[in-house]
Amino acid sequence: MCYHSALMMAVDRIEELREEALSAVASVGSTSDLESVRVRYLGWNNCSAELTEIKKGIRDLSPEERREVGGAANKATKEIETALAERREESVAVAEREKRLSSEAVDVTLPGVPYPKGSLHPSLRVIDEVVDFFVGLGYRVAEGPEVETDYYNFTALNIPPGHPARGMQDTFFLDEGLVLRTHTSPVQIRTMLSQEPPVYVVCPGRTYRRDSDPTHTPMFNQIEGLAVDKGLTLGHLKGTLAAMARHVFGEDVSLRLRPSYFQFTEPSVEMDVSCFVCGGSDPNCKVCRGAGWIEMGGAGMVDPAVLEEVDYDPEEYTGFAFGFGPDRMAMVKYGVPDLRLFFEGDLRFLQQF
Amino acid sequence: MRVPLNWLRDYVDFDLSVEELVELFSLRSQEVDGVERLGVLEGEVVVGEVVEFGQHPNADRLNVAKVDLGGQEVQIVAGAPNPYPGARVPVVLPGSTLADGRKLKKAKLRGLESYGMMMSERELGISNDHGGILLLEGDYEVGRPVSDYFPAGETVLELDVNPNRPDLWGMIGVARELAAILKTAFRVPEPRFEPTGEPTDDYTLRVEAEDLCPRYDLRRVSGIRPAGERAPLEMRRRVHAAGMRPVNAIVDATNYVMLETGQPIHAFDAREVRGGIVVRRAHPGEKMTLLDGTTRQLDEEMLVIADQERGLVIAGVMGAEDAEVGDETSDVLIEVATFAGRNIMETSQRLGLRTDASGRFERGLDPNMVSYAMDRVVGLLAEHPGGQPAPATLSHYPEPARPWEVPLRLSRAELLLGMPVEEDEAAERLELLGCEVRQEDGRLFATVPTFRRDLEREADLIEEVGRLVGLENVPERLPGVPLPGGLSPAQRKLRRLRHLLADLGLAEAVTYPFGPDRWNRDLALQNGDAGEEPLKLRNPLSAEATNLRTTLLPGLLDAAARNRSFGARGGAVFEVGHVFESSEQPEGMREYALRFRLAGETGLDAEVPTDLLTGVTEKGKVAGLLAGTIYPPGWNVPAFAAGFFEAKGIVERLVPGAIFEPRPRPFLHPGRAAAVLSGGVEAGWVGELHPDAVEKFGLEGWPVAAFELDLEVTEPDPAPRFAPFYNVPPVSRDLAVVVGEEVRVGDMLEVVSSLGSPILADVRVFDVYEGSQVPTGKKSVALNFTFRAEETLNDAVVKEDLDRISERLREVFDAEVRSS
Ligand SMILES: [Zn+2]
Repeated sequence: MCYHSALMMAVDRIEELREEALSAVASVGSTSDLESVRVRYLGWNNCSAELTEIKKGIRDLSPEERREVGGAANKATKEIETALAERREESVAVAEREKRLSSEAVDVTLPGVPYPKGSLHPSLRVIDEVVDFFVGLGYRVAEGPEVETDYYNFTALNIPPGHPARGMQDTFFLDEGLVLRTHTSPVQIRTMLSQEPPVYVVCPGRTYRRDSDPTHTPMFNQIEGLAVDKGLTLGHLKGTLAAMARHVFGEDVSLRLRPSYFQFTEPSVEMDVSCFVCGGSDPNCKVCRGAGWIEMGGAGMVDPAVLEEVDYDPEEYTGFAFGFGPDRMAMVKYGVPDLRLFFEGDLRFLQQF
Repeated sequence: MRVPLNWLRDYVDFDLSVEELVELFSLRSQEVDGVERLGVLEGEVVVGEVVEFGQHPNADRLNVAKVDLGGQEVQIVAGAPNPYPGARVPVVLPGSTLADGRKLKKAKLRGLESYGMMMSERELGISNDHGGILLLEGDYEVGRPVSDYFPAGETVLELDVNPNRPDLWGMIGVARELAAILKTAFRVPEPRFEPTGEPTDDYTLRVEAEDLCPRYDLRRVSGIRPAGERAPLEMRRRVHAAGMRPVNAIVDATNYVMLETGQPIHAFDAREVRGGIVVRRAHPGEKMTLLDGTTRQLDEEMLVIADQERGLVIAGVMGAEDAEVGDETSDVLIEVATFAGRNIMETSQRLGLRTDASGRFERGLDPNMVSYAMDRVVGLLAEHPGGQPAPATLSHYPEPARPWEVPLRLSRAELLLGMPVEEDEAAERLELLGCEVRQEDGRLFATVPTFRRDLEREADLIEEVGRLVGLENVPERLPGVPLPGGLSPAQRKLRRLRHLLADLGLAEAVTYPFGPDRWNRDLALQNGDAGEEPLKLRNPLSAEATNLRTTLLPGLLDAAARNRSFGARGGAVFEVGHVFESSEQPEGMREYALRFRLAGETGLDAEVPTDLLTGVTEKGKVAGLLAGTIYPPGWNVPAFAAGFFEAKGIVERLVPGAIFEPRPRPFLHPGRAAAVLSGGVEAGWVGELHPDAVEKFGLEGWPVAAFELDLEVTEPDPAPRFAPFYNVPPVSRDLAVVVGEEVRVGDMLEVVSSLGSPILADVRVFDVYEGSQVPTGKKSVALNFTFRAEETLNDAVVKEDLDRISERLREVFDAEVRSS
């Protein structure tokens, strides 16, 4: 149903409609929405389009009213049409851009540009981890030569010539009195000879024994540590190694010591770490073979004879020393079944680390 | 040391499962390497009497027996033909489990019921004899369990005895150790015999090499029952369980006592010993044909047990064929002696001959064990096979070993162990180990028995107390380290270097530093060149691993060849490691060098560089190898292959500011090799491999490039230093010049930089071209210059600079400007 109103009411209404229409134009998103806004406000055949109805009713007004209402209506119509036209243009541009972007789509499942990816040797990864732990405790890292003298490799470590322990370490010999070091312990001797206590060092490096079978390679890595200070006990050794094991294998592992024998420590111990995979609960565990414990290495309180050899007073200072095999630790940590893989330069192996 | 548990029970009582025993030994004493089971694990073995025995009706190779098990007669099918009616045999009953895991069931064999099984010695764990059913000789009552006579099954602990504990190479020592762990008593069998045999001193004893033989005892046992007799079943069973082969009654008795006491014992056939026993060093050139059939040439440092005419035994190692106990022997001379451990070790090493006996003597045995071992073996031989011991032993023991006293402060024990130690507890533990202990003002004085030569000092006693109390009682503590710690600058640098190389795409390898002669030969390194003569191992594992590397390159090349053989198309690896060069020793230095190497001092007042004393210079190097196609092409990237500039780019990252000078090396392509100079010093090389080397290392057809640098000069992460910059856009200009093809672009860049333009910020080579657009013998080099200053640069200023550059290039290189 159509109706007429008084003049002022009509002009106000036109103004209202204009604002309503402009804000409708501003808020629509698509071209088809724009068209329905046009029909709603300006559609000639739409008797619910109020502005059109007002314009249709103008001819029934007095000339004065006609001029006033007509002017307002035309102005409003023009503004709405302009707004509609601008919006229409804009939305065409948007559509074009959308079309272009969609034509530029890539297959995001294709691989990215392959930036180079190298790898770090698994044993050295473990060494770095262990070294970082000890550095955090206040240790330094000491290094030494791989061709070592008989004295540093054996005699200074309480293994004099003819001692049966020499026979146990299948040694590579060079010129008389020279060997490939069988352990990194000589570095500890060199360190103690070069400084006064307190000493806190770790000594990683390559070591050599004349031994080659599926579980032994003639070269292997070792990391040894030495602490000499006043009041150091086996308890300090145990606490240090337990903390190190937790650093490398996870918070839940525990450490146990078993009696052992080394020429340069007294008491001497072996250290086992509880299995970080099964905790001893799996009799078929591949890591601990059901034992629940993994052998880590040897340790002990520095033998008084070794301290005397480097002119430290064993009554004033005590110390502890320890050594583990980072290769074996890496085997356990990364699940490598064969030690020999470590030293063959096989890319299929190296690239996994 | 193999410890049969049933045997161990002779000396000490214990009520522990095998698992508990293994754990106790591991945590308190020695590691247990394994547990072996022999005979019947579980079930029943009874004495049966064969009533009937005959062929199986349906099988040629089977027999069937009727066996009386004491009130019950059963039928048993057997393979072995040796039982006969009236023979007593061990019968294992159905339901029993054997050591190999077999579980016995009532069975039907070729149509006949078989109830259980008659057993061989091997099946019972008595020996390796599987030739027939064990026929029980002696007083075996039908129907009684066999275990009333001897164990039908055995559990053997394999102890991994530490080298300082030769006392644990005998059952008695192991029993004493277990008793000390359990705080219980242990007992030792008392030898008993009538000394009524022929006198020992029909023979003489002369020890000439006293320094190598602290004690030598000799006793004769005569009237032994005829030869070839076997030892009693239980003795054979124990010897077998302990890992030795039963031989005959005499040899088994000596081995049995060795296993019991740890003391090796030798028996001579007395009739073959001429005159008497002489303990002496071998004569020059002396030869001996040993029991193993080999003939050995001895040297004058080897100890020989001889008679007055010939050598009979290499002391402590192995006997000769002469005078060994054989099937005819009825009169023996028993030797129980102690030899110098080191001499035995050296002899056995030089001969490459290790035996059960030599392994024991090497460790240094207790001379005071000799008397007991002698009485024990003589007593056993008297029991079986009925020998008559001589009235007296001939003994050479000029300086008897005596126990010594070691003081122990409890405060010191608590300090070393980090846990409280009770005085009485410590004293008790040491007493259980065989010490006599006196307690006095908070100190213990332990008198250590001579069989524990490892207990010399306070620390040794503390270890014993600590382990017996239990290391699990030691609390975990962390020391308060009073030092800052940290990596040295060089160590930090090395870390960065390795990470940088990995980030650049190389895989870190660790290769063996020893290789074959082929290495240097295939790299065309002439032996004799300074620093190229490789150091040699005296005892390499093989000829393939003799020479210490003088460069990291050959190990990486071998790795590349291996990767190729596994199907790789190429790859990039690096290694950080030491190389070894022999350095010339000055005249007259040898004596001091040896003192340094063997005693840690030169005896000289002046400091001498250690590489002069060792003759070895060891250097840290980093090397990289690019071989073949390193990355195959991807859908949007080309392949990446090895080449000079690929390798050089890595070196430029490792040694910023390095200068590259063409310098050939025998193993590098003569036109693609450069020395790397840093600070004017040669720090390494980079280049493509010479085609000959490529081929010799099995990489033919692959491009191969490599570098090697002194670790010292690398600077993978140089310290940054701020340089001011301005918010003014830079000006970029290109310049293409044509120069002779021999002109080196590096020289052109150096000339440009030597002009010292204050506004020239960067030069980039963006094209080098030879071809149709350029006259023959010439090349076009296109450079891009970036100019930058505090204020906006006007064209005139930039042009002036560019002209100066062109002019200078024309002057120096006869460069013709093509465009700018
Ligand atoms: Zn496990």
